[in-house]
This record gives sequence, C-alpha cells and structure tokens, in this order.
Amino acid sequence: MTVETLAAAVRSGERTAVETVAQAFARIEEVDASVGAFLELWRDEGIERASEIDRRRDAGETLGPLAGVPTALKDNLSVAGHELNCGSKILSGYRAPYTAGAVDRLLAADAVPVGRVNMDEFAMGSSCENSALAVTRNPWNLDMAPGGSSGGSAAAVAATEVPLALGSDTGGSIRQPAAFCGVVGVKPTYGRVSRYGLVAFASSLDQIGPLTRTVRDAALALGSIAGPDPRDSTCSDLPVENYLESIEDGIEGLKVGTIREVRTSALDEDAAEGYRRALRALEAAGTELVEVSVPLIEAAVATYYVLANSEASANLARFDGSRYGHRAAGARSLQRMYTDSRSEGFGSEVKRRIILGTFALSSGYYDAYYGRAAHIAEAMRHQFASAFEAVDLLVTPTCPSGAFARGERVDDPLSMYLSDVFTTPPSLVGIPGVSVPCGLDSRGLPLGLQILAPPFADAMALRAARAVELAIGFECSPEAIP
Amino acid sequence: MSLDVEEVRRIAELARLQLSVGEEATFASQLSEIVDYIDQLRAFDAGVALSGGADPEEQGVAANDVPAGGRPLLDDFLDNAPASLDRFLLVPQVKATPGGAE
Repeated sequence: MTVETLAAAVRSGERTAVETVAQAFARIEEVDASVGAFLELWRDEGIERASEIDRRRDAGETLGPLAGVPTALKDNLSVAGHELNCGSKILSGYRAPYTAGAVDRLLAADAVPVGRVNMDEFAMGSSCENSALAVTRNPWNLDMAPGGSSGGSAAAVAATEVPLALGSDTGGSIRQPAAFCGVVGVKPTYGRVSRYGLVAFASSLDQIGPLTRTVRDAALALGSIAGPDPRDSTCSDLPVENYLESIEDGIEGLKVGTIREVRTSALDEDAAEGYRRALRALEAAGTELVEVSVPLIEAAVATYYVLANSEASANLARFDGSRYGHRAAGARSLQRMYTDSRSEGFGSEVKRRIILGTFALSSGYYDAYYGRAAHIAEAMRHQFASAFEAVDLLVTPTCPSGAFARGERVDDPLSMYLSDVFTTPPSLVGIPGVSVPCGLDSRGLPLGLQILAPPFADAMALRAARAVELAIGFECSPEAIP
Repeated sequence: MSLDVEEVRRIAELARLQLSVGEEATFASQLSEIVDYIDQLRAFDAGVALSGGADPEEQGVAANDVPAGGRPLLDDFLDNAPASLDRFLLVPQVKATPGGAE
C-alpha cells in the first residue's frame, strides 16, 4: 500500500496504526536478512507510538497526514535517545541528545519511525559499500549495489519494507539510489527542509528528502517535513505549498529543457534508451521539448568534489575522540589521541575525501582549487538561471547507467564519483531535483529520469514527475525480493 | 598534478590522520588520478565575478541566533563522552607524559 492509502485508512479507522506498523516489522523480518537495509529496529517504541495514534483516533482527534505510516530514517538523522552512527565506526555508541527538525515534523504528522537504515559512511559514496556497519543489496538483483549514499533508504522502500524513508542528498545521495532501486527520490530546494539534527557532510549542499514508491507519496511526505525552522538558519521562511494540490494538473504546454551538454553518447545504451523513452513520455504529456545550453554542467563533478570535500574536511574535524564516539586506547598526548582516534575510526573513503578537502584548502592550493571551484559553482548558478528563463523545467537521466555490481567500483573512486555526473549540478546550484523511474534496462534493472525546477518550484518538479509516472506506468516489483 | 607519498603524508598530518604504508601508496595513486581530473576546472571559463554566495536575506542566514534558554543537554552530552570528570571532558594531557612516545 502507498503512504497515502495507509494514512487515509488509519485516519478513517479502516485499519489501526498498530497493525500497520506490526505488518511493516513482519515484512522487515521476512526480507531484510537478504536486503540488509536496516541497522536497528525500534520495535517497542514503534508499536507504542502506533498505539498512541490509535488511542487518539478513538478519542476523536484528527490525525496527521502520515498517520501510522512506518518510516525508515537514514543513519545520519538524529532521534533523541537513539544511537546514530552515520555508517561509521567513529560514532560507535553515540546517542543523539536531540531530534532532527525533519524528524520532529514527521512525528507531528503522526508517522511512525521504525528504525534506522544503512548509508555510506558520512554519506560519502554512491553504492552504500562504504558503510562500516552493514552490507545493503539492491532488491532488484542482490548482486547489484543499491546506490548511495541513502542506499538503505532506497532498498527498504523498494523491498516494500516501509512505504517511506528519509534520506539526505549532498550530490545525488537520494536521487541516485532512488534510480538504482526503482523508487521516487526528492532532493528539495536547498533550504526547503530543516537540516537541524542532520550530521553535516557539506553544509552548503546537504538537504533531507523523501524516498517513496509513488510521486504522490513523495509530495505528501515532502509537504510534511518542509518548512521553516529557527534552529537551522539556512532554512527558508517561505511558506510550504500543498504539493498534492496541483499534482494531477498535468504538464501540458510546459517547456521542458534538455541540456545540450548531456550527450546520450556518454550514457550506456540502456540508459540512453530509457532517457529517450522518458522524453517521449514528456512529449506525449503535452510538453514542448527545447534544447538549452548549460556549458558548465561538464565541470560539475570536479567542482562538486572540491567543494563538498573541502567542507567535509572542516565538518569532520569534530570527530577526534574527545567528545563522543570512538577514542583510541593508550594515547599519551592529546594530539596522539586525535590522530589515532581518527585513523582508527574513519574508513578509507572518508580518509581519502578528508585528505582531498584538506589539500584543496591548504596554503598554496586554495585559490587554484577551492577558490576556482567556488567561482565555477557561482557561474553555474547563473547559467541555470538563464536556462530557466527559456524553459519551465530541465530534465536529465538521473545516472549514466542502471545499478552497477557490488564491488565493481570500490577500488576505483574516480569511476564511482563519475556516476554523480547528472546529480551534482542541481546540488551545486541549490535547485530541486526529483528522480522518477522511467523503465527497466536490458538487465531488468530500473532507470531514473531527473526532473529539475527553479528554486522553490518543487511543486512543479513533482507535478512533472507525476505526469511521467502516469505516462510510463512503471511498477516497482523487484524480482529478487517479491 | 600528481601527489607523491610524502605529499599525501603531509596533508594527512594536517588533517590529523596517520595512514599505513599501504594506504599512503594507494591514496597517492588514487588522489593523483582524482586531482588530475579536477585540474580540468582550469579549462572552464567561469566568466562572472564571485558575488559572495546566496542572498543572505533570502536564505535567512543574516538572522541573529537567539539563545533558546538552557535545555538540560549537558548530561546527555557528557553521557556520550569517552571520559569525563564532574562536568568536564577528560582527555590526555596536551604534552606527552615523560617517557611517553611523544
């Protein structure tokens, strides 16, 4: 069942929140040994919260829009009293002292968090293989990567363990796993959702968003978690639209931009065909396709990996064994404790990125790398703004291919980074991006279309995603996890 | 631009990381490839002056932080500490103990 139908059934009393949540736990019990999405289940608390929701309904209270919906949370979202590891050994044993703003809103909407799900360590990765804690598999083919870094969120939704998961997206970490797992993933406009209580990776890029099986569910979930939060000064005060209100209005007459620099020759053959199929669906829905140019999109991956890792090298300086998490044993000086705790606690990819970021910020290289990348990101923002003067929306494939095999790219970080070629540009310029499934490749694995809109036009991106969903008629039914 | 093992070790020290000999060699090779890729940024014409980022009014970052008034987080915070004494974090001394490794 969808988020929308489940919540409606709980609100009307057609089903109880307790049975809804219990069914989710039973499904997780049944399949998660194969999928490996969950790091921890919150059974007692989940059932207790569901009972309270049922009690309030019986007392005549009106329930929230996500009433009784079992929800998975990425392991970088704080929930007071619960362990939070960010997929890392260095946060082993850490318990969040407060609850993230987005999770507060989920709870206010009467959703029921059922546990935390796996991710690449500190959200650094595109396959979920950089987790120090668990192996997560793609429900469509267990030998394939689920994508990352929100791989646990995408896999849990695709395997129908939960109808809703929250992820975070810095350079594609919601959209890419959503595409690999055949679900819908939304990176909202930067500032649309509070990042309070989200462990920071790259603060100028990080956004929280939903992963669901339908576009309507994503719209419902985004509407529930979006909005101002005085605890995050980058969170916008703009009022939140009702994303469901206009979602069935269609996209007839809209101008949709394809980007000249996105060459189908750079895609694998299946991804190119999937992209063409999606473009045909957009045309069939009444849009006019217009080619526009965003030349700096070709600089996005390099720009992203300088800016994101520079910010990460600063943000992750706090993990040094003094205040929380892992502390190396036997260090006789403060400096030694810092170095040993970090060297033991961080995994290879995190170390690699901290070193890259430290390099880009270091004396003698700052202007050539960080300064240059910041300049290009700013220019890219101008280019996207110009493109949006000519078109209402932009589209790209979400990824250059469907899911790759687990283990295929772990020893080749650059090739892993290049899978973010289409998801990094919107992150750098802060605009919303929705990945919606657009069919299967010749291996039977899902492909995604990325729909981009101007800042705070998240509703229009969702409306277009809904039109594509209807036109393509994709069904998320992974064979490996029936 | 390529990064050799010494350069990687120097940057790792700045980042308070100590790499194993194997990691140093692997990282030197991988990071050289990545930095080579990043060096393509030199070929792009950004063409506009830096404006200093997003409009602070629009983003709300100009707002003053107002203290919310003492949530009792200290105990929760100290519960997460690897070591504490009374209301303070306990860490090794700044200088190494006599006869220690440093």
